[in-house]
Parts: sequence; C-alpha cells; structure tokens
Amino acid sequence: MSNNETLKGTSLWKDAWKRLLKNKLAVFGLVVIVLMVIAVTIGPAIIRMTTGYTADYVPTDIGEGELVASFPPSMAHPMGTDELGRDMLARVLQGGRISLMVGIISTLVSLIVGVSWGAIAGYMGGRVDNIMMRIVDIIYAIPYILVVIVLLSVFGGPNTPEWIQWLSSKFGGAGNQGLNQIFLLFFALGLVSWLTMARVVRGQILSLKNQEFVLAAKATGVSTPAIIFRHLVPNALGPVIVYATLTVPSVMLTEAFLSFLGIGVQAPYASWGSLASDGIQNIAVFPWQLIFPGVTMALTLFSLNFLGDGLRDALDPQTRKF
Amino acid sequence: MLSFILRRLLLIIPMALLVVTVTWGLIRIAPGNFYISERALPEAVERNIREKYGLDRPWYVQYGKMMWNIVRGDFGNSLKYRGQPVNEIIRRHFPYSATIGILAYLLALLVGLTTGIIAALKQNSPFDYGSMAVSMLGLSVPNFVLGPLLVLVFALWLFWLPPARWGGISSLILPVITLSAIYIAYLARLTRAGMLEVMRSDYIRTARAKGLDEKTVLLKHGLRGGIIPVVSFTGPALASLLAGTVVVEKVFAIPGLGNIFIQSVLNRDEPLILGIVAFLSILVMVFNLLVDISYGFLDPRIRYD
Amino acid sequence: MRSSGIKTFFAAWLCLTAVVFTNNCTTTGSGKYYGRTTAPAEDHLRYVSGSEPQSLDPAVPTGQPEARVIMALFDGLVEYHPKSMEAMPAIAESWEASEDGTEYIFHLRKNATFSNGVPITAKDFDYSFKRALAPELAAENAYLAYYIKYAQPYNSGSVFVKRPDGSFIHQYEVDPDEKAPEQSAAPDTFGGDTPKHRQLDEPLRLTLPGGEKERAELLEKDPKLKALVDGKEFVQVTADDVGYEVIDDHTFRVKLLQPAPYFIGLLAHQYFRVVHKDTVEKYGEQWTRPENIVTSGAFRLAAHRPYDELNLVKDPTYWDAANVHLERLDIYPLEDQTTMQNLYKAGSVDATYNHTVPAGWIDNIKQYKDEYLNLPEAAIQYYAIHIRKKPMDDIKVRRAFALAIDREALARFRKTLVPLADFTPEGIFPRYEEARTKVYSEFLKRDGITPEEWEKRIFDPERARKLLEEAGYPVEQRGGVWVCPTFPVEGVNVVYNTSESNKSVAEFLQAQWKQNLGITVPLNNMEWQTFLPTTKALDYSGFARRGWVADYMDPFTFLALFYSEKNDSSTGWHDRRYDKLLDDANRQHDAVRRYEMLAEAEYLMMREQVVIPLATNATNWIKKPYVKGLYPNAGTVHAWKFVYIERDPAKWDKDVENIMEQTDQKVDEQIARLMQTQVDRENASKAATLAAAK
Repeated sequence: MSNNETLKGTSLWKDAWKRLLKNKLAVFGLVVIVLMVIAVTIGPAIIRMTTGYTADYVPTDIGEGELVASFPPSMAHPMGTDELGRDMLARVLQGGRISLMVGIISTLVSLIVGVSWGAIAGYMGGRVDNIMMRIVDIIYAIPYILVVIVLLSVFGGPNTPEWIQWLSSKFGGAGNQGLNQIFLLFFALGLVSWLTMARVVRGQILSLKNQEFVLAAKATGVSTPAIIFRHLVPNALGPVIVYATLTVPSVMLTEAFLSFLGIGVQAPYASWGSLASDGIQNIAVFPWQLIFPGVTMALTLFSLNFLGDGLRDALDPQTRKF
Repeated sequence: MLSFILRRLLLIIPMALLVVTVTWGLIRIAPGNFYISERALPEAVERNIREKYGLDRPWYVQYGKMMWNIVRGDFGNSLKYRGQPVNEIIRRHFPYSATIGILAYLLALLVGLTTGIIAALKQNSPFDYGSMAVSMLGLSVPNFVLGPLLVLVFALWLFWLPPARWGGISSLILPVITLSAIYIAYLARLTRAGMLEVMRSDYIRTARAKGLDEKTVLLKHGLRGGIIPVVSFTGPALASLLAGTVVVEKVFAIPGLGNIFIQSVLNRDEPLILGIVAFLSILVMVFNLLVDISYGFLDPRIRYD
Repeated sequence: MRSSGIKTFFAAWLCLTAVVFTNNCTTTGSGKYYGRTTAPAEDHLRYVSGSEPQSLDPAVPTGQPEARVIMALFDGLVEYHPKSMEAMPAIAESWEASEDGTEYIFHLRKNATFSNGVPITAKDFDYSFKRALAPELAAENAYLAYYIKYAQPYNSGSVFVKRPDGSFIHQYEVDPDEKAPEQSAAPDTFGGDTPKHRQLDEPLRLTLPGGEKERAELLEKDPKLKALVDGKEFVQVTADDVGYEVIDDHTFRVKLLQPAPYFIGLLAHQYFRVVHKDTVEKYGEQWTRPENIVTSGAFRLAAHRPYDELNLVKDPTYWDAANVHLERLDIYPLEDQTTMQNLYKAGSVDATYNHTVPAGWIDNIKQYKDEYLNLPEAAIQYYAIHIRKKPMDDIKVRRAFALAIDREALARFRKTLVPLADFTPEGIFPRYEEARTKVYSEFLKRDGITPEEWEKRIFDPERARKLLEEAGYPVEQRGGVWVCPTFPVEGVNVVYNTSESNKSVAEFLQAQWKQNLGITVPLNNMEWQTFLPTTKALDYSGFARRGWVADYMDPFTFLALFYSEKNDSSTGWHDRRYDKLLDDANRQHDAVRRYEMLAEAEYLMMREQVVIPLATNATNWIKKPYVKGLYPNAGTVHAWKFVYIERDPAKWDKDVENIMEQTDQKVDEQIARLMQTQVDRENASKAATLAAAK
C-alpha cells in the first residue's frame, strides 16, 4: 500500500501538483476559484471607481422614486438592480466576500479540528474514542440556533470584542458595525461544521488502522502522532476532501438560513445565500435577482468540487494504476 | 458486542440530560422570554405569569423541578401554546417530518448509491463527469430555491401537483424531491470516493487475484468497505432528516417538527425546546450507535473492545 | 434512477429559461382573475390566518390570528361591524350608558345558547369576565379590562384598607389632587338600585399592593399614607368587588373607573367573549380541545390539526344561525407569503390575512382589482428615538432626521403604505382628523409656523440640513454629495426586528439620510426576542423601528403609548402635561371637544419629535371574487357570519374602486337588521328625554 510515501519525501507535493495540472476539469475549477477570489477582493473597488456603484448604493434621485426599483440587466447594470435600485453586480461581488469567507473559514475549522479529532478517536479506540465521540454527539445535539443567539447577545452589539471590531473595520471599511455579526457567525458555524467530518474520518481510520502498513509502522517504533498524521490521515484523504468540498455549500446555506432568521449577515450587506433567498420570492417578476447570485454561487461550488476531485486524485498516487 | 451496545445505550440517558442542561442554560442566557410583547405588560400581569410558571423561584429550584419532570419522561406543557403537552406536540408532529425524511432518504440512497458506484467503476468516463455534475447541481441549488422552482413548474404552470399543504401522496412528491436533492448529491459523491478508495486496497486485489468475478468483488467486497463514509454520514443525516427541515416544511406548509422547533427557540418556549432537544438528541445518539454497530458488519477489520 | 436527478435538473433549468424569456409566470387562464378561479359548490371558505393560534381560549391569546378564529367560535356582548369595526349588537341586543359615562347596562337577548344548548345569561358574562381577570389565569390581555372599576386591583392581587368601623379608606382621602365627591342624597337609580350597585357607586376605594414587602416599601416612602393605614385591616380585593353586576338573567351592568368613550368598541375584542363555566372548570387548560370545547359563536370547532388546519362548521344552535351563510370555515395557519400566494393561485385557498402580498408581486397582482384589497389600517409604522442619548437628545437633530425622509417616496417604494407625518393613522378616524386640523391651525398660529412650512414636514431636506447646522453639525457639499463630517455617527444606530419589509424600509431610510444629510447610520437587525428587551430597556442608541396596531377604534389607543412615566414608547420621553391632557380628554363627554383635547396632546408630543412617524399601514391582502361580505377593515378582524360564497359570476364584484363604499344588499340588510334593536333603544331613550324635558 502507499506506505512508501516517506521515501518520496518532498517530491510528493510536487508530483501531486503536476498530476493536478494534467486534470483539465480541476484546472478549470482552480482558475474559476482564483478568478472568483480576485473578483470579490478587488471587484467592488473597481466598480466603485468606474461606475460609482457599491453594494449599498441607492440611486441619488431617490426623491423621484423612479430609480428605486428593480431594473433588468442593462449596460449600466450588467446584472440588473434589486428592489432598491442597487447594482446587483456590486452586491453579488460583495456577497461573495462574505459567502467565501464563511465557506473557507468553516471548512478550515472542519478540516483542522474535525480531521484531528476523528483520527485520534479512531486510532486510539477504547475509552478515549468513546469519550471523544460522545462529546461530538453532545455538541451535535445542542441546538446551534440557540448557540448563535446567545453568542450574538453576549458578544454582539456594544459588547463586541475589540479585535472583531478591528477585523470588520479592515474588512468592510469604517463604521461597518454590521459586519461584526458575520464574524461572530464564523465561530458559530465553525463550531458545528467539524462534527460530521470527525465522524467520517473516524469511520475511515477504524477500517484502516488494522492494516499491515500501520502494524508495520507500529512495529518499527514510529510515534503515535506520526502514525496518525503521516500514515493514516493521508490514506483517508479521499473522503476527507470530498466531504470538505461538501461542507462549503452546506455552511453557505446555513448562513443564508441564519440571515433569514435575523441572526446572520446585517443589511445593507448580503451574502450569496441571502441574495438567492431574497431573489426566489420575486422569481416570477424579477428573475435576474435570483439568477445572477444563484449562478455565481453554483459556478463557484462546481469549480470547488472539480478542484476537490482533482486534488483527491492528484494526492493519491495509486489512482492512476487502477 | 452485546455489552458494547448495552453500555452505549445506557450512556445515552445521561448524555441527553447533559444536552438538556446545556440547552437550559443557553435559554436562560438568551435575551427575551415567552410572554414578552411589543406592549409592556402591567407589572401585575407579568407577576401573575411568573408566579403561574414558577419563574419567580430560585434557578436551582426551577432546574431541579425541570430535571425531575424530564427524568420521569414528562416535559410539561408548552408555555406559548397553553395547555398543550410537549409530549403530545412531539408525538403529533414527528410523523410528518419522519415520513418525508425517510422517503427523501430512501430516494437519495437509491439514486445516490447507484450513481456513485457506477461513477466510481467508470471513473473519468462521461457518465462519471455527467452524474457528478448533476449531483453538484443538487448541492449548489439551495433547497429554498429548488422547492419554489418545482412548485412554479409543477403546481402553478402544469397544475399537476398541489403547491403546498399535507394531504395525499401527490402532496409528498415535491417536498420529497426537494429534500432529497442535496442528499443524492452527498451520497453519490461519498460513495464514489469511498469506492475508489476501497477498490485499490489490498483485500480487493486479493479477491481479484483469487479469480473471483468482477461482480462478486464489487458487490461483496468493494461495496461493504466503500460505503463506510456513506454510513458515517447516514447517522447524522437521517437524524436531521427525521427531525424535519425548516425550509421544506415552510415552503410546502408541512406541519413537521423542524419548523416547530425553530419557532420554539424564537419564542423561548422552554419546555418545548427542551422536549424536542431531548428527543432529537436521543434520536441522533441512537442513530450514531447504529452506525457504529454497522461498521463491524461492513468491515470485519473494525473491532470493538 | 438517475433520471430523477436529471428530472430535477431539467425542471429547474426549464423554469429558469422560461422565466427569462417570457418574463412573466403569473398570468394564466383568461387573465381576468388571478390563478384558478372557480367558486366552490358548497358554502365553504378556506382562509389563511397567519401563525398557529397560541390558544383558542378567548381570554388568553393576544394576536390577530387567534382573534380571527375566536371571533368565529365565541360571541360577545357586541360584535365588530364588518366594515367600520364599530360595535354592533351581538348577544347584547342593546345597551345604554349612564349620564356620566361610567356605567353601562346591557340587555341580553333571550335566545342565545352555547353549542351544548345551555342558554347564555348575564351570569355567564359575569363568570367569563371575572375569570379573564383572575391572577391565576395570568392573561396577558387583562389590561384591556383595567378601565373597569377594581379590575386592576383584583388582577394585581391588591388590598383595600378597612377601618375598624367597617368603612373603607377612599382614594380621595390620600390623593391631594382629588376632592371629596359630593354625596348626592338620592342613590343613583340607573339600572336599578341594588346593594352591589351602591358598592360600585361609592367613591373609589384606596388600594395597596397585596404583597407585604411591596406594601411596606410603598408605605416607607409615604409616611402620611403609613399613618393613615396603620392599624387598619387589609382586605383582599376579590372577583366580587370588580365592577360587573348581574342585575337579572338578561341584564348586565358594567361600572367603569372613569368615562371611556371607546369602551363599547373595546368590548368586541376577543378577550370579552363568553365561555361556558362548567366546561372550563371541568377540563382546566384542556378545555379548548375539539373533544371538550363548548363554544358560543356562529361556528363550532369540528377538528383542529395544529400547524395544519382548523375546521369550523356552522353551529345550528347559534341564536342567529339563520343568517350564518357559511356551512364550513377552514382556517390554515400559514405564514410563508410565497406559499400562501401559491395556494391562492392554485385555487386552494379563498382569502388571506393582511400584509400577505410580497412587495415585488404587488404591481402584478393589483391589476386584479376585485381581488387585491389595499386600504388603510388602524396601524402605523414609526421610528422611536432614544431621546436621552447624545446626539439625539437635541431636538434639532431629531427634527433634522425626521425632515430628511421623503415619506412619499417611501410609500411609492413600498407600494402599500400611506405617508404619515403625525402619530395617529391617516384616514382611519375622520372625525378626529377634523378636530385635529382645527386645533393644529390654532397652535401653528401661536407658534408662528406657516402652513407651508407645516405642509413640508413630510419632507424638507433643506431645513433638515439647516437644523443640523444649528445643532453644531454643519452639512457641506463635497463633490456633488452632502457630507456631515462632524456628526458623531458612532452613537447612532437603527435597530429593527428581522423581516423583509423592515429591512427594506431601513435600507431606504439609510439611503435617504445618506443622501440628504451625508450621514450613514448603521443598521442592526435582531431576532424578535432579542429586539424587544433591547428597545424596552432603552438599550439602543439612535432609532428603533416600531409599529403599533389599534386595540379599539379610537385615537386614544395610539396616544396612550406615551401616557405615564413608564410608557410603551421606547423613547424615554415623558411629560406630565401630556398625561393630564389625556386624562382630561377622557373625562370630557362631548366627543368633538374630547378629540380636540387629544389633538392638543398629539401636537405637544409631535413638537418634541420623540418619534419619526413613517406610514399608515395598508391591508394588502387578496380574496377570490366569489367571496363576499369579507371586507378589508382597519383591523383585519372579520365577523364571519356576514361572509358568503357567491356562485353566480354575474354577481361578483367588477371593477370596484373602493369595496368599502360598495353596497351589498345581502350584507347591508343583515347589518341593518342586527342594528335595529340598538337603534330602537336609542330612539326610545331620546323620546324619553324629550318627554321629560317637556
């Protein structure tokens, strides 16, 4: 089995990278995601400079009320406008910042915490496994909406810790108190996103830990952490990567749901999820309000999964032989 | 094995009580209460309410009383919906969620597993890419978008199916499809990944070497190991499906437990929250236990001490 | 198997493209009516009424969804007029008020029964009303009865103070403002002389808190009071002390604390409906289950599947059953707007409750004139200002923010609202508005405000900027936009509870302030249960989104929001002069004069600009053209016995401009017949007064 990785040493990642580049879909995914990240990072600034629109910009001759309405896509507004006459392109890009942040942070938490937790539990077995997995069960059963509500009431509003305020001021410009809440939300989502990952990894490790290569490593005196993280985890990487790519959409949707309940992102900001949930209501009247955020989000998730599949294949040298 | 199951079963009760305790604490920290409204209640009315529900007693007395009731299996009456026993609410609304949840999961198993297996066997084939792309669509179209779209097409244009509300098999079709879409995607992808992992492990190679035909290798050996991630996922997935999903229940006006639970949290309806949390946590833990037991059957290499 | 996934994909794709190319999903069929429109074969109405009722016990729930169900199941002394919401006879055939306006005698009809056949008498009202006040029931609505003598002390568990000689200490003995009432030699004979009546006519007794600790604290603060009550006996206020009296089986007396001209209107509220004593006592909190419930209204409860449906059927034993048109009334507790619109379009429901057409759909749906109902409601939206925190403690700043909002544009944008610059809703209380116009013109002259300036209070950005400058925050033009660099925006916020409409109104106002004042006020939304304690405790700075719905059809229900020191306004504002104006107004018998005094109070409060009124709400709901007798009244509470199904399409409404002005012979006759008993009573008493005068 693949216990010869250690021999390959540093060239493992290089090889994987080479293999990844050979996978057309994965490259496509990678390119889209890189472009998306660039777009949401600098896009809003470019739009502001060229057209003057921002995510929260309501047309100025508001007194007449004529521009404060939903307009279909046009040269001025490539994605149309929302009901307040705000440029959908600017909103989609700004929403992408929040959605991508939510997705990335929660997925990182789920990768770091979930994989280690599951791997340790699975490998150690016995009492340790039992206690660790029961903790997962308990956290899983606590209603996260209540956790979010409490988190926001204890740390939200005027009680927001300074470093969160600092972060949101860096992120959205001065006076963006509304963004504080989204940072608190990252914690809440991170708190729950690793649980299923831990279970998935543990299941994999359980089936791997009695295989010969592990026994061999044990016999040659490899330390326990090394066995777990150098031998077992890389072999469970397939489902882990797939599951991680599945985590991204699910946390994005959880965020949309929390926004819907009033404990998510603060107006006038939006996320892809909340844009789509606003848009679906008017699908019959102003379809562009759903289509553009929806398609952008779907495209990103698609790309992410192609990349995930490609990574999975690339990191696993055995694949090509099969 | 038997003692393992017994020990785990016994553990579920104190764990559920722990979950209830934490939840109770969270409710106490959260702002608001079940009787607050836009209109300031006269002090006397508020005092009457607090006395009626024992909220004027010290917290440890309230906690003790609550725990004692729960240990006896009685969650008391809802505060918001006066006179309605929590046990009855759960008993009444759980079957709705369970029905669409189980149907959706069966559909997802059927479609997801099959697609995942075929895609794994024909890795990098057009079918593989195509099916994975379609399953991705299920994943990236949120159910609060998919549901209304299906309604628009099948209920409001074609008038084939009712747009919402419970009643008859025809009313189940749209909610079940909406609910299963995301699980089809999950299962297809997890199955594919798991199968790919297993198909090149030593024991499959051995089986092949023994000259077993491909079908036996695949179904008897490959599948058993390959669906382990699927099984790990099934525990929490089925538990959360049974618990009801707020969005689908809202869009299709189904009186399931999911929406009632969210409402109870937003209403700060303490007995109802605790009752549903206790019920769901037991459900989750039982499912996870079943998952752990099934590991042993699926993969003989997994042993429990 | 995999075709299902593909089907899903296909369906989604199909719809998306179809939507893009046709750009209209909603007009179908003949295009004349919205969605499927076929009158049902039976007299059967399917109605969407909002959230699941908290309880079917009339005394318990507070919301409108419950009110609508309870109105079908239980009758009261009076019923809401289906259009105007004024009180009209129900179980009380007629009533009369005493000269001083503090006493009402109700004459009950003799043929009213509960659904189990037991006759309804004055004793049942006595029981129902007292039960609703009982501290053990802990009804949130109990305050509605506080206008009745000793209702509040009973509900609060207070005590009277009894002298050794058996007499009670009276309120006037301790209150320096009150004079001892003149003792008239002859007892008041209105409604007959009874011992209970004498007790009720006695000057108001002093009441003290029932709890010993609370009482001790109060007495500690007031040594004079302490000296007065020392050594006296404390007697618990009981249900028997409350100002309700059964004169005989069909005559019922209510004694008020002070005159309350809106009292009869208030009595139609679900809180004052009659329940069956034996059933309530036998089953306790379980008495409202379908298998236990005994009702008094036009319909009885056939089945109740919570969160799914309530099935109500006509009660053949109801006293007015001959004039109840619907055989069956199904009520669906739904809250999701899109879902109920879909059901309506598919022809699965016949009518919905208020505020149910999503903003984006209105332009499309309002072309179905006879289905879309949008008329002003007795409900307003406003932003409360926390006036104790800087910079909002400065009235100039408050006025600047109020003047910088273009309310006309807001109303156009939200499509259903009526712009509002005062605190009482527009177009709901026409007689009050007349009185107000008169009072305001005097005050404006006094305060040197020109009518033009007053007109512009609805939107005047120039003046807003000037006011801000006067307050020390100059607004300058930079690069074509207004900026206000010195304004301390960190101390200001808009808090609102999460909802689609609150969000878009907040975003709109944020844009207005940014455009007209150069100030970007941050928005902060919260879930309801977090929002309420935050605003109540004045734990916010800047603005809080509020709304208020009338309890009864009188402007007082709005103005009372600022009454007393611990008021409900969430602004921190309180003014003794305001309280006194309201008190005096309610003692006033002349309706016009009373309105003028209320208008004075409204002027006083609005000059302080402690709130920014935004809009009067509108009903915004839909009904099928075959549903008749269901009107968009100001409170969206419907007397169901007037509703009927018209199966003849020729008789459906056609191009009706205002349904409220439309005559409907069937309904109008029914209303006239019911009103007759009270009209007769009033004519008789007028004739008697005339005869006496002669």
